[in-house]
Amino acid sequence: MTKLKETVMHYVFLLAACVSIAAVVLICVYLLGNGIPTMFEIGLGNFFGKVWKPSQDLYGIFPFIIGSIYVTAGAMVVGVPVGILCAVFLACFCPHRLYRVLNPAVRLMAGVPSIVYGFFGLMVLVPVVQRLSGTSGKGLLTASLLLGIMILPTIIGTAEPALRAVPRSYYEGALALGATHERSVFSVVLPAAKSGVLSGVILGVGRAIGETMAVIMIAGNQTKMPGGLLDGLRTMTSNIVLEMGYSTGIHRQALIATGVVLFVFILLINTCFSLVKGREAK
Amino acid sequence: MKKRMLALLLSALLVVGMLAGCAKTEEPAQTEEPAKTEETAKTEAPAAETPAKAITVVSREEGSGTRGAFVELMGVQTDEGDMTTEDAEIANSTSLVQSTVAGNAAAIGYISLGSYDASVVKALQVDGVEASVDNVKAGSYAVSRPFVICYKEENLSELGRDFIGFIMSADGQAILADKGYIAMDEGAAAYSAAGLTGNLSLDGSTSVGPVMEKLAEAYMAINEGVTIDIQQTGSGTGITSTIEGSCEIGMSSRELKSEELDAGLTPVTIALDGIAVIVNQSNALDGLTSEQIRQIFTGEVTDWNQIG
Repeated sequence: MTKLKETVMHYVFLLAACVSIAAVVLICVYLLGNGIPTMFEIGLGNFFGKVWKPSQDLYGIFPFIIGSIYVTAGAMVVGVPVGILCAVFLACFCPHRLYRVLNPAVRLMAGVPSIVYGFFGLMVLVPVVQRLSGTSGKGLLTASLLLGIMILPTIIGTAEPALRAVPRSYYEGALALGATHERSVFSVVLPAAKSGVLSGVILGVGRAIGETMAVIMIAGNQTKMPGGLLDGLRTMTSNIVLEMGYSTGIHRQALIATGVVLFVFILLINTCFSLVKGREAK
Repeated sequence: MKKRMLALLLSALLVVGMLAGCAKTEEPAQTEEPAKTEETAKTEAPAAETPAKAITVVSREEGSGTRGAFVELMGVQTDEGDMTTEDAEIANSTSLVQSTVAGNAAAIGYISLGSYDASVVKALQVDGVEASVDNVKAGSYAVSRPFVICYKEENLSELGRDFIGFIMSADGQAILADKGYIAMDEGAAAYSAAGLTGNLSLDGSTSVGPVMEKLAEAYMAINEGVTIDIQQTGSGTGITSTIEGSCEIGMSSRELKSEELDAGLTPVTIALDGIAVIVNQSNALDGLTSEQIRQIFTGEVTDWNQIG
């Protein structure tokens, strides 16, 4: 009887595992099956060109690829130092009472819907940048600032447990050798948690490149090549969402093909992530 | 002890920094305040004070019904296609255009006249004609477009036919006119309930959607037992789903393209809508010519000072 139960449950678990794998496979097949023929139909030169004007059959997504990379890089510049230092603080410096407030606050940040972040950006960051710079206020700088804030919980959430997982003996050994608390943390504990911290950063990259709703509201969404920190730009994700509603025919296919390129980026990021994780396991 | 002092000092610095930031945002807001009251008391308007700033052009995304109609009517669309400047900011909904323009003194954009909110932004006169329902109806306001619903003859249920009948009746047209759109048929007969029940699904333009919600509400109040489901996904999607049969009636804020008509759709124009060209309320400008609007949206004119 128990044997039968075990066999049945075994297959139930197997089915559950299959569902998630099937979902990924279906998405892959659908995206690649629709996207790659489209790329060739449009022409690779056209598709990776610099001009996006669907009404004239020009589907160059190069500015959006650059836009996505710029925005993600900007978010890293803002978010990574703050995120890592915050994780270090939470793991090694934070008094217990303060931790009880800060930790839920960081978790809450992760739960805030991205559209709310976008609204915050539109109502608070955009006017500030507008006044300081004299431009429209929407653009790379604003998007980087906001995304930098948005990826904080991802980075902190991965980096902090990694720092806590460093054996206490490392830290004590450093202290015994005469290092101060700060020096032990930054020269011994942080390097020891390197791969965990790095995976946090990579997950943050994934979050930043995939972010859509918040970016649409504050990036300006111009189709031209981004020229500077205050220039507006459009990311791949925003391009898909912006035009999906009204597109027909090859225009829609081109948007799906944009999704393929985005998917490849995410795959690359995830591969990096597993490589880093794999190194940690060794 | 030293550390605690340092932490205190740092947090004090942060607070001061934040306050400074707040003060900075408040200061110009105050200077904008009188501009807003000017709007209500136009007689007191001081000498024109055009913002000495680069124009921020706000446009809709490619494929939007509003954009399609606007570029065609304003001559932004040439034989070479849609020539909207690449520097234009793109907003993907009417409300986002309105809030962007409301928050940027140098911005110009365009939205459906029915969604225009005079307390948030300012509509410009085009060629000296005020953007109003009367002027669109009279044909003197240049920027107007049709609201179209479409269906496939073989997919249309009796309920769908009755609902279209309701929209085109005096009752339905009154709702459209009440919302600021221009009714197509002024002498239509009143609607009498046919006593049908069932479900009806509509999909399409975000410009037509809000008024369609009102129409559906009124229809459901008369016909108990009818559920009308309205999705607002954009003209293109709505038309596609109607062709594919996933919804019965599609809503579009532009004329149907010939390829869409070829797919077997029957279009019905339910109303006309004006497109309002909007600027920030602090903008002293009252009107532009269509030529000036064309130049702004194609990027030939990039500064407010270039406009007389």
